[in-house]
Amino acid sequence: MDRYLGIKNIDQADSRTLKIVWTDDVESLFDVVELRRMCPCASCVDEWTKQRTINPSAIQDSVRPISVDSVGQYALQINYNDNHKTGIYTYKYLRELSLSAQNPNKQ
Amino acid sequence: MKFFERSQSKAKAKNASVANIACTEDTVKSALSNVIDPDLQRDIVSLGFITDIKIDGPKVEVTVELTTPACPVKDLLKKQCEEQIISIPGIKEALVHMSSRTRGAEVKPANIQKSLGGVKNIIAVASGKGGVGKSTTAVNLAFSLAQSGSKVGILDADVYGPSLIQMTKVGNPEETTNGMNVPPTIDNIKMISIAMFNDKSKATILRGPMAAQIIKQFLSQVYWGDLDYLIIDYPPGTGDIQLTISQLAPVTAAVIVTTPQEVALADVRKAISMFDTLKVPVLGVIETMSYFICDSCETKHNLYGNGGAEKISDQFGVPVLAHIPIEPKLAECSDKGTPIVNHEKNNSAAIAYQKAGGECARFLSMLHLKSSEALTQFSLQWR
Repeated sequence: MDRYLGIKNIDQADSRTLKIVWTDDVESLFDVVELRRMCPCASCVDEWTKQRTINPSAIQDSVRPISVDSVGQYALQINYNDNHKTGIYTYKYLRELSLSAQNPNKQ
Repeated sequence: MKFFERSQSKAKAKNASVANIACTEDTVKSALSNVIDPDLQRDIVSLGFITDIKIDGPKVEVTVELTTPACPVKDLLKKQCEEQIISIPGIKEALVHMSSRTRGAEVKPANIQKSLGGVKNIIAVASGKGGVGKSTTAVNLAFSLAQSGSKVGILDADVYGPSLIQMTKVGNPEETTNGMNVPPTIDNIKMISIAMFNDKSKATILRGPMAAQIIKQFLSQVYWGDLDYLIIDYPPGTGDIQLTISQLAPVTAAVIVTTPQEVALADVRKAISMFDTLKVPVLGVIETMSYFICDSCETKHNLYGNGGAEKISDQFGVPVLAHIPIEPKLAECSDKGTPIVNHEKNNSAAIAYQKAGGECARFLSMLHLKSSEALTQFSLQWR
């Protein structure tokens, strides 16, 4: 991955899909409900063991972002309508997520 | 080079066949398109540097707008422009004005728009280890950029060991505009440090989140105004304050300061890895305490070993911006509050810092051309 990979364009593709075009022209689509389930924040993932501490099925399919904001030049923060907004998704993490979504066998 | 020769011979051919051919703006532009900016590797016309062309009989007057007033090849470009204009048939006199408009990100997140909205480039001066000369480097870089006509500010982010006041003898902020602090200045360089708000002899004893809060205020409640470069003097290491700055402010690039020894380099690698994680491009490495030249001989004595910065440069593919010698005058000037690039201009350390300033400005311009596609800031409202 390019060391200084950035976001060229970010938009909402449909009611539950976030679309990102990266500076290397790769296009990634993210299901915002899946992103909520994969939240990397300290209340969703144990800081030491890296074990997920929330049950993915406890997250409703109806959850949606209110807003998606940039954090510095390396990450974005999603403010969800279930009062959860502590997740800072680094670009590196998002790219890994989009890769594993494309190749589910390699995960 | 071939292109250059061809177009010259073409110009000669024209000259021979048609005497007194009318010189138009396009003629001037096509002549100037032979001038290549050595850093950006493109001709100055397609880069949009030519902002004004006036043709008055045999006299042509052009304005060239560079990407930084600190451009190290300014004189060379000016000379090449003059030569190209004179080579146009029928033109006897060339008047080339060099100006500059620093390129940079103009859009900032809403919470810092008021304070940092007019700041074009934010440069982090950082190191892994403490005591390598970060603050000395930050101050002298700032003064060297200001000498070339740039508008510069310094934010001393070392909450626990601020040195900016000691090194510049800057006063305290006295005015406020709309409830925001107006930074005091020395030689038109705006400065803010925690020491301006505290009893100088007392230690700042703060837990991480409080220190981060102070940095937040420096970034959001100081009226920086229009600046070409804001230099942030980082505290050493990779902790809370570094992370806060990088999350809150769109830091354009980082300059890494190190001494040559392996023990310092080990931590430099960590600092670079931090900036990589935060997607802040590293402009290059400045090696301090690089060598010593004693009074009686001309030999460079590498007191702390040789080639430290080069090792980092090779490993991470970042350039070495300058080697700063060990120089008693440098320490003396820093202690007296008279930055060496301003007060001992011919000293070898001052010359090295001037070079570092020019290199920073140069690499920043190159960076902007490369990364103009990436969004610096966004806020998407979900529908």
